[in-house]
Amino acid sequence: MIELVRVTKVFPNGVVALQDVNLFVDRGEFVFVVGPSGAGKSTLVKLLYREEVPTEGEVYVDGRDVARLRPGQVPPLRRQIGVVFQDFKLLPNKTAYDNVAFALEVIGASRREIRRRVPQALDLVGLRDRARAYPNQLSGGEQQRVALARAIVNNPWLLLADEPTGNLDPDTSWGIVRLLEEVNRRGTTVVMATHARHIVNAMQKRVIALRRGRVIRDEHHGRYVRDDDELSSLLEEMRAVVSP
Amino acid sequence: MIRALAYGTREALASLRRNSLMSLASVTTVAVCLTVLASTLLVAGNLDHLAAAVEAQVQIRVFIAEDATPETREALAKAVAGLEGVASVEVVTREEALERLREQFGSRRELLDAVEEMNPLRDSLEVAVARPEQVVPTAEVISRLQGVAEVNYGQVFVDKLFSVTRFVRWIGLGLVALLTVATVLIISNTVRLTVFARREEIGIMKLVGATDWFIRWPFLLEGLFLGMLGAGLTAGLTWQGYPWLVEQAERVVPFLPLLAGEAAREFVRRTNLVLVVLGAFLGAVGSTVSLRRFLRV
Repeated sequence: MIELVRVTKVFPNGVVALQDVNLFVDRGEFVFVVGPSGAGKSTLVKLLYREEVPTEGEVYVDGRDVARLRPGQVPPLRRQIGVVFQDFKLLPNKTAYDNVAFALEVIGASRREIRRRVPQALDLVGLRDRARAYPNQLSGGEQQRVALARAIVNNPWLLLADEPTGNLDPDTSWGIVRLLEEVNRRGTTVVMATHARHIVNAMQKRVIALRRGRVIRDEHHGRYVRDDDELSSLLEEMRAVVSP
Repeated sequence: MIRALAYGTREALASLRRNSLMSLASVTTVAVCLTVLASTLLVAGNLDHLAAAVEAQVQIRVFIAEDATPETREALAKAVAGLEGVASVEVVTREEALERLREQFGSRRELLDAVEEMNPLRDSLEVAVARPEQVVPTAEVISRLQGVAEVNYGQVFVDKLFSVTRFVRWIGLGLVALLTVATVLIISNTVRLTVFARREEIGIMKLVGATDWFIRWPFLLEGLFLGMLGAGLTAGLTWQGYPWLVEQAERVVPFLPLLAGEAAREFVRRTNLVLVVLGAFLGAVGSTVSLRRFLRV
């Protein structure tokens, strides 16, 4: 489970990314984190795998306050968490297979274990026959599926996805989301930051909406925006950003 | 642990191969740096050897009182020979002393014929000590013995000699320190380039939970290899080059007490051992230093 208690994050340049955020996500949940750019979605995700530390408040992941971890305790935390990004973050000089195997290699898994688990992960994302391809020989959707395979190959209980469909067309995006749903069905908690409205609306999952670093809405079977009022104020805000 | 080591070695060798030109450049730079260091060590070693040779020639001259009987003279010689730290004692009678003086005068020896009848020189003992630093205390003791008129060991000269050799040793130490820093900087710079080229990879490793030490190993080994290869080049150079240099030097200045032969081989061997260990150590330190910034995520 994940719990945020009165979390505030202020960056050194003075930008307030999150303000007094309280949040609870149970094991096995599928959660969308939505909001316009700069609302704090990415920062929220980064707090969970301790890329960032909160300025104030506590971030509990599986019962431990990750803000107070010693440097040596960070690797064990990350081995329980899979992360997927908008830009895939694959190594260009490694094949799909090697990219997935890399995640196991660097945590000291045995060769036998690597040979067993990498094909399983590639199977799950439907890329077994593309195992020998390099990232530049794969489509965007395929690359993201390799990244997903890498994220889950270590059997994490928590999968974080930061705008995983941001670089993909709608059809491909749906493929990725279906996979995330499948991973969730197998028991992994999934937290996905996104602004893919049609996906959020269709999935009918829990939605946590952020705006200017605050949680403005948290509901099950939620939508990307609740009603026309929220939509119009959102549009107004976006217009103000575009033409001040 | 063993898996991490195997992985690290594999990655380090692959990295050296991938950046072979850069690696070659840094191996060469390290070799040049260490060659300067080796030359300094060898020169310092020779100066030390030279200083020791000069120091060993320092003798104590004990002038015997003119009224001393031959018996007292013998007894004195025996007493001095029995002192701690005295290597040898030679009795030089006033006649022998005059004869030596004559030899030093060479072609103008007839000048001394005038003093033949009334030799102004005194009987003396030539005392050699085992270790140079024993000269002063031994002279002190001898001067208090019976029948001794005067003790002379070139006080001013000895003091100067000792301060010169001390100075030479400090200079050598200073150079070694400077070159050590330079070598660390060079290697850390080279490894920084490979670290920079692989920062994405390091980021992903951190992301999936690799420990800092696991990430550090390949780079540390890479630096270690670079340092050792550079040191190896230098070692080969000194091994071949030093005897040749000694040969050349001896042709020009025949009686310079240089380290040569078996002693020289032993000295070069020890210097080279120091170089290789130092090269490896500096390589490892250099790469660890340049990696620090990238691990702080």
